[in-house]
Amino acid sequence: MKESATWTILRAEVLALRHRLLKRKPGRLVGLALFLTAAGVFIGGGAFTVGATAGQFLPSARDSMLAGGFTALAVLMLVIGFPTVIATFFVGRDLLQLVLAPVRPIEIFAARLLLAMSANVLISLILLTATLGLGVGSHAPAIYFVLAVILIFLQVLLATAVQVILMSVVLRWVPARRARDVAAAVAGLAGAGFYLAWNLSLRQSFSPRGRPDLSNLTSLVNRIEWLPSAWPGHALSAVIAGNPGAAVTWLGLSVALAGLVLAAAEILYERTLLTGLGVFGGAQSVWRRDPPRPAPVDLAGRRGVGSPARAIALKDWLGYRRDIRRLSRLLPAFLFPVGYAVSFIRPGRSISGFWTDVFLVGFISMFLSSSLATPSIPSERRGFQLLRMAPLTMWQVIRAKVILTLPPVLALTLLFGAVVAILSGSGISQLTALAVLVVWLGLGFVSIGVSAGGIDPRFDAADDRRAVGLVGTLAGLGGSLGFGLLSVGSFALFVFGLGAVEGTTTHLGPIPTTPAIGALMWTGGVTLAAGAVAVVGMLLWVANSRLGSYEGTIAAT
Amino acid sequence: MASPAETGQVAIEARDLVKRFGVLNAVDGVSFQIRHGEIVGFLGANGAGKTTTLRMLCGLVTPTSGTALIDGIDIFAEPLKAKARLGYLDEEPFVHPHLTGREFLNYIADLYRMARGPERQQRMERLLGLFELADRNGELIGAYSHGMRQKIGLASLLIREPSVLLLDEPTNGLDPRSARLVKDLLEELASRGTTVLLSTHILEVAQALCRRVAIIDRGQIVATGTMEELRAQAGSEQASLEDLFLKLTAGPESKELIERLLAPKQ
Repeated sequence: MKESATWTILRAEVLALRHRLLKRKPGRLVGLALFLTAAGVFIGGGAFTVGATAGQFLPSARDSMLAGGFTALAVLMLVIGFPTVIATFFVGRDLLQLVLAPVRPIEIFAARLLLAMSANVLISLILLTATLGLGVGSHAPAIYFVLAVILIFLQVLLATAVQVILMSVVLRWVPARRARDVAAAVAGLAGAGFYLAWNLSLRQSFSPRGRPDLSNLTSLVNRIEWLPSAWPGHALSAVIAGNPGAAVTWLGLSVALAGLVLAAAEILYERTLLTGLGVFGGAQSVWRRDPPRPAPVDLAGRRGVGSPARAIALKDWLGYRRDIRRLSRLLPAFLFPVGYAVSFIRPGRSISGFWTDVFLVGFISMFLSSSLATPSIPSERRGFQLLRMAPLTMWQVIRAKVILTLPPVLALTLLFGAVVAILSGSGISQLTALAVLVVWLGLGFVSIGVSAGGIDPRFDAADDRRAVGLVGTLAGLGGSLGFGLLSVGSFALFVFGLGAVEGTTTHLGPIPTTPAIGALMWTGGVTLAAGAVAVVGMLLWVANSRLGSYEGTIAAT
Repeated sequence: MASPAETGQVAIEARDLVKRFGVLNAVDGVSFQIRHGEIVGFLGANGAGKTTTLRMLCGLVTPTSGTALIDGIDIFAEPLKAKARLGYLDEEPFVHPHLTGREFLNYIADLYRMARGPERQQRMERLLGLFELADRNGELIGAYSHGMRQKIGLASLLIREPSVLLLDEPTNGLDPRSARLVKDLLEELASRGTTVLLSTHILEVAQALCRRVAIIDRGQIVATGTMEELRAQAGSEQASLEDLFLKLTAGPESKELIERLLAPKQ
């Protein structure tokens, strides 16, 4: 009997995955396995505990929680899983081979569906552990656990099929790669938005004082409980409640819906496949072609000698504007400070003074720098070879990247710092001190971020988020922590030292603050600042020497 | 008047270049000299070490031992000085997909600190016109075909007029008219003193363009010289470059391979 093409395709993918894994260094593989195990235990354990606790102590909210959980999973998969679905079903040159081969479209669809579901399955594992926990906490019968696994799998299937249907329609007008890039941008923004919303609603629901307040959650779920995405949740809650009739009805509805959507997805995908190969393929689509016009009197029309730093800055700026994937990395980085600023500006929120502001600007500065500066060198991709061939030192390249990344980091952090400082009632002197700290931290964190990218660049990475290797990531994290602690320590010693010298501070804990102690504090502050500079200098030096000796080939990406 | 090639000044010199990747000797003691204004063909089978040699000559790959000189300047000792005189075109040109052709040329010109002004602008427009890319306003390089990328890669070299060109498969993917244009252009550049080391699989191009050829096999130069010198070396006065190449880089006879492949099924 001949083997199904679906299995042939899947076996090839598994083989490719195995080769990709085996190509890695054994140490890295072990590290990855340990990290995944630890993350699995931490996240899975957390979700299970939350589910079990809720099942035990909040019996009236079980249906709302299950319905809400399933709906949240569907929304999360729909938004975040889109790039994977587009990449698996609609982009990729291997599809051309499959379309040309004597393989039935349904077999391609089945294989691709299983592959595309992998990202959504990973997302759904969180809900699965929480749902199993809820079952344990509610003392549910054994059938609940079996149904939970089946229904979550059905939900993944449903979400993936809906994505295929939507993309089969959209791709009739929009090129696949463009759609994937837009989806990645939306997913990035949505991910950051979800995180912020979750963080803020958790703070609201589980405040340090009093009982958890789930009224917002339950009232929201009451409004959306009719949604098909909530049906599996109702089926499970009916099982817990010992209502087999309702359980069978919801289960039947869920299975029928999944079947219908899956069939529709297959038919539409098949039709899209037959629409023509123009939709697919590796070539980037021409999005816009301007009519012929006289050559612009642009940069070349100006006088003076070309500046490499300016050229790199201009090229990066144009790249950001035109590359939606890079933009998708940038936008969440901007969303976080805005989100946190809003959470602090909310009425009733008390900001606890100047030192909270110091730590907040430190965090924002570090976060923005790692998002913007770290991939700045690896994002050159193959273009890095142009820089290597040009009569430039790597130090000039690093400097150009730092100069380019610094303005947005400083602007945003200064803005954020000014808002929180004014709200916390800081005076002009504290505001000035905070501004000096922001500039200092920005310079350091951006230099560390650029260095981290230069120490261990992955020029072949298609995604900026994977553009820095483990060594670079660890160097960046370690360097940022070291620099941040030394800087804030130095800043504190300068501030307290100034108070001691001026006589405005009389005691610092048990230490009496005399002018002599103040001078001593300043000496300590200078020493710590020198240490912070040394951390930055060392990382810059390592990045410069690593980039100077880089000679790997860079595949076309 | 003697042409630059006859003045004897060395533009490119490889001195006992060795490159090892683990246990593999990708390049094993390659030495040669190329004089100003010469076009030299660099031939070899796939994986013979051509690209690694070219990348060592332009400083992209550090040799395990040996060195490379451009206009007498050691590229590893004084890289900035040497790179300012050098242009290298990879078989898959290094380009930025999110720039237009014109923006990319400006980027390169600025990287090499070329003076801005009408002269640079005119040169850029001439090159874009020459390679039929002038009417691609607003079109990003990412949307270019392979041949168009090759053309913009070549234009990015020519805009800054380097004295030495290292070209890896420059006619790869070009239509016949563009390929002819590149050949004519290289001849004209050579007559004006530009030195060209040309790696190619298209032996007709090498035979038509190059005064001398160097053949590399398994990391070692197995023959170098003019066609006449190679024929004398191979002992075959009527041999074409293809015959010489196949003889010097001997592998299994193709006829035997074909017979084995097409043998009737048992």
